Amino acid sequence: MPAQPDGNGLADLQHRFAHAVLQAPLEVPDGIRHDVRPTRERRFGVYRNNVKASLAAALAARFPVVERLVGEEFFTAMALVFIEQHPPRSPVLAEYGAAFASFLEEFDPAADLPYLPDIARLEWSRYVAFHSADASAADIGRLAELPPEALGSVRLGLHPAMAVIASPWPIVSVWSTNTHDATPEAPAADWTGETALVTRPHLDVLVQRLPPGADLLVAELAQGIALGAAADAASRAHDGFDLATALATLFGAGAITTLSQGSSS
Amino acid sequence: MINRTTTVALAAAVAAAALMSSGANAQTANADKEKCYGVSMAGKNDCAATGSNSCAGTSKADYDAKAWKYVAKGSCAKMEVTLKDGKKRMGTLAPM
Amino acid sequence: MTADRLLRAGAGLKPEHQRHILEARPDVGWFEVHAENYMGAGGPPHHFLERVRALYPLSVHGVGLSIGSANGMAPGHLGRLKSVVDRYQPFIVSEHLAWSTHEGTFLNDLLPLPYTEATLSLVARHVDEAQTVLGSRILIENPSTYLRFDGEEMPETDFLRALARRSGCGLLLDVNNVVVSAANHGFDPRAYLDCFPHEHVGEIHLAGHAVLESDGDALYVDTHDRTISTEVWSLFRDVIARRGVSPTLIEWDSDVPAWLDLEAEVHQAQSILQTAGGLDARAA
Repeated sequence: MPAQPDGNGLADLQHRFAHAVLQAPLEVPDGIRHDVRPTRERRFGVYRNNVKASLAAALAARFPVVERLVGEEFFTAMALVFIEQHPPRSPVLAEYGAAFASFLEEFDPAADLPYLPDIARLEWSRYVAFHSADASAADIGRLAELPPEALGSVRLGLHPAMAVIASPWPIVSVWSTNTHDATPEAPAADWTGETALVTRPHLDVLVQRLPPGADLLVAELAQGIALGAAADAASRAHDGFDLATALATLFGAGAITTLSQGSSS
Repeated sequence: MINRTTTVALAAAVAAAALMSSGANAQTANADKEKCYGVSMAGKNDCAATGSNSCAGTSKADYDAKAWKYVAKGSCAKMEVTLKDGKKRMGTLAPM
Repeated sequence: MTADRLLRAGAGLKPEHQRHILEARPDVGWFEVHAENYMGAGGPPHHFLERVRALYPLSVHGVGLSIGSANGMAPGHLGRLKSVVDRYQPFIVSEHLAWSTHEGTFLNDLLPLPYTEATLSLVARHVDEAQTVLGSRILIENPSTYLRFDGEEMPETDFLRALARRSGCGLLLDVNNVVVSAANHGFDPRAYLDCFPHEHVGEIHLAGHAVLESDGDALYVDTHDRTISTEVWSLFRDVIARRGVSPTLIEWDSDVPAWLDLEAEVHQAQSILQTAGGLDARAA
């Protein structure tokens, strides 16, 4: 703790208090009255519990499938480690949890579940989509009405709530069965990778599988590349890429908001 | 520059995509409906304390990877997983 | 209609109830939201709040400004609070006598402050800054606390009175917090309320609390997860009878009940406001 701007011990006290609230072993900071029962350990423990239990509950609410996959006890213990290592940096709790997926990558006790970080990414994307800016989805009819020679140079604007999570694991299947089914079932026999598309055209957050290579198309479109060149790039990069299926999925999910013509700038 | 073949292919793909979309409502198919309109996803800023005083404040989270005492017991343990080597396993999944 | 509604009882707006509220339009005076839950760019939170706001007056209750932080309030947060206030035009804006941010880390709780002259000047300066940026008076709420500090210089009621005089802010009297703190620190809640500067009160909060027993000692915890206790109702009745009416909120934040159970408590508060002088105040 450097300078004390108010010339009193408040900054010092808050420094000690903040550290004692977050650290694992219970150690009551100096400066707290201890001449009255209950003990100051119990009194200070209420604040520690409030801070940690409320943050753990917030994480459980935004990562319900991760919690279901590992169980409540494991999740809470894991969340407490995360909270200690990555406490929130903003008073807006809706922003808390962005680092959870990458934390899981490094969290050894969960290494037996290598798909867990990508499930967390999918759940985080749903959460971000829920709170992201609103925009009206464009109907594919508007694209179909364009003259054929205009299609190559049309730019498709992506919805601010849209996210794509490509994974070597069947994350949409794992997420879906653990969200909707009382008894989760193992996804496809060979556990092939899936790419998730998250959108929120209006109030509902939608999750679906993106067809092969469509994530490459989205990546091109996101950079402002026109449809013709973006489709070329996706075809070259992925043999199984089918433009019709990709466009039907993207428009159907409300991932596209604007169609514009013009030179790239 | 866009050549004519690509233009024709694009037009065909767009027409096919429009047809696919007009059939089923792709927006509701295979999609999650947040039926309760985000009760679980709403912001969690509150001015209330947590009722249970036994959860985090008293449980030691001193993390030592080697001595980690919690075992994943969730639904991952129920999903039958077939690995690329053809062996079936319950629960845990070794990295490939 | 405004004067009428604003002296009435209201409820905290919960996502569990908002669809029902829009359909049934229950007879309650107003709603209150936590500002931080509406700081996202869009989506269902704003969708529903805009529609509720079109039907009812709104109060915005901040829980994250950290007015008591020695190293400054939560960075950038006043601007976010202003955006919510500008967008929803609440009839009350309130915050807490507490701190929650330290060196950029947000500790998600309303942490206690030592009541000293130095804390008072700091908090008064921050309240003044907040009121200047927001362009309106704010109310500061008395906290529920679980511990006290060495070297405190004045009781909470003196601190709040001095804060209101110095900064021009109003006060939010949380009757449940009085009961919780009184039990935890062994003072008489009626004596506290006798000393409270009621002339600055612009809103009252009522909520439920938990009693945690261990080793023969009890701690009261401000949980907002159950019905309001008999003691809180009785103190509320006294405050209203002796000090006049204020807009009164039922806070219920976890284990949220069916709307009708929450509405019943709003109506109970409403009937106390009306019988104990609310009718006179509304006629004036």
